[in-house]
Amino acid sequence: MGPTSAAAVLAVLALLLAGPVPAFLSRRTAIRRAPRAATVLWQAVALAAVLSATGATLALSTGTGLGEGRGPVELVVAALALAVTVVVVGRLLLSGHLVGTRLRALRREHRRLVDLLGSPEGDHLVLEDETPVAYCLPGVLHGRVVVTRGAVVRLPEEQLAAVLAHERAHLHARHDLVLEAFTVLHSAFPRVVSSDRALAEVRLLVELLADAAARRQHGAVPLARALVTLADGPRVGAAAVPGRGTGAGVPATADAGLRSRVELLADDRSHRLLAAVLYTAAAVLLVVPTVFVAYPWLATLV
Amino acid sequence: MVFRPRMGELERAVMEHLWGAAPAWSSVRDVHAALSGEREIAYTTVMTVLDRLAKKSLVRRRKEGRAHVYAAVSSRGAMTADVMREALAEFGEQDRRTALVAFVGEASEEERAALREALAELENR
Repeated sequence: MGPTSAAAVLAVLALLLAGPVPAFLSRRTAIRRAPRAATVLWQAVALAAVLSATGATLALSTGTGLGEGRGPVELVVAALALAVTVVVVGRLLLSGHLVGTRLRALRREHRRLVDLLGSPEGDHLVLEDETPVAYCLPGVLHGRVVVTRGAVVRLPEEQLAAVLAHERAHLHARHDLVLEAFTVLHSAFPRVVSSDRALAEVRLLVELLADAAARRQHGAVPLARALVTLADGPRVGAAAVPGRGTGAGVPATADAGLRSRVELLADDRSHRLLAAVLYTAAAVLLVVPTVFVAYPWLATLV
Repeated sequence: MVFRPRMGELERAVMEHLWGAAPAWSSVRDVHAALSGEREIAYTTVMTVLDRLAKKSLVRRRKEGRAHVYAAVSSRGAMTADVMREALAEFGEQDRRTALVAFVGEASEEERAALREALAELENR
């Protein structure tokens, strides 16, 4: 097998990983039962897609462009393939830079304000606002868990403790980095690949991971009750946000995984087999394109 | 978790004084007098903090005689409401932004009903 056929295999892989595979995975909601393994699998899909796409074009450009006696056609093909590699890698790097810079600026600004306005209670900040909301503000050393007075008033002690444990789990496990990686991918290739499905699913998976952590500490029922309470709470001031639907018009971005979260809270079986299958799939996804990228070089050894 | 280093804490104390003093304007001397009740703090430090806050557009500054006087740009409640509006707008943008992570996003009436049903099942086990 020559470098050109390796390039063809990698190109097919890249196309599969960009469209059909994310579409397939996002319909398999059962894999959410093993959220950690599912998150790893999604990361493997994304990484394998990038690896295959760059590997395919690189193999094509070196395979056709290098060596003696190449005609103009081969050189043009090689140049085009190389250009595609540069565009893919360049877009990823640029998007990584832009997303990272913007997120850090937004968080820094928000953190400064909550530090000024919130009152520290335990290891979280309470904002004097009626809207019942709890969220976390990620950052290395500067993570903050923020809850509003509205949430503190509505949530009995054990429910509040569950909510805080959920948010702390996000901060400690650096879920923001996983989300950031998929945000980078999505903003680099918003349409060509199904990066929106991947991002939506990974968002839900990190919520499930944080739910699992909170549940281990405080039990499923307080956490589920807190979810209901906070999802039900009136969004005071929400109508004043520009561009947001009001009243009957629920935003398209509504939390569609909510039901999934509560259903999975009721699920206390272990899913070791499922997790093993998902981890294996992730490993295979990473090994296959690596082998094909390395194949032309490996072939010279034999 | 490390909570706000000294500068953050001072900014907060200064803002609290200005919010309390509103609508009156405070001079550096006023703020210094108010703060030194609780801590050892140099006059120049208060000046630096006020200067930082003015640069961040959190306080307004104007000249009165030969000294500057300062006031918070808006009340604590109004600033808190702004922060909340900003946070809620972030949560609404679920597909693109990940600056803040909400415990639970915006839910439709249907989803809330499904949620209550799932909770009832969980409670009856």
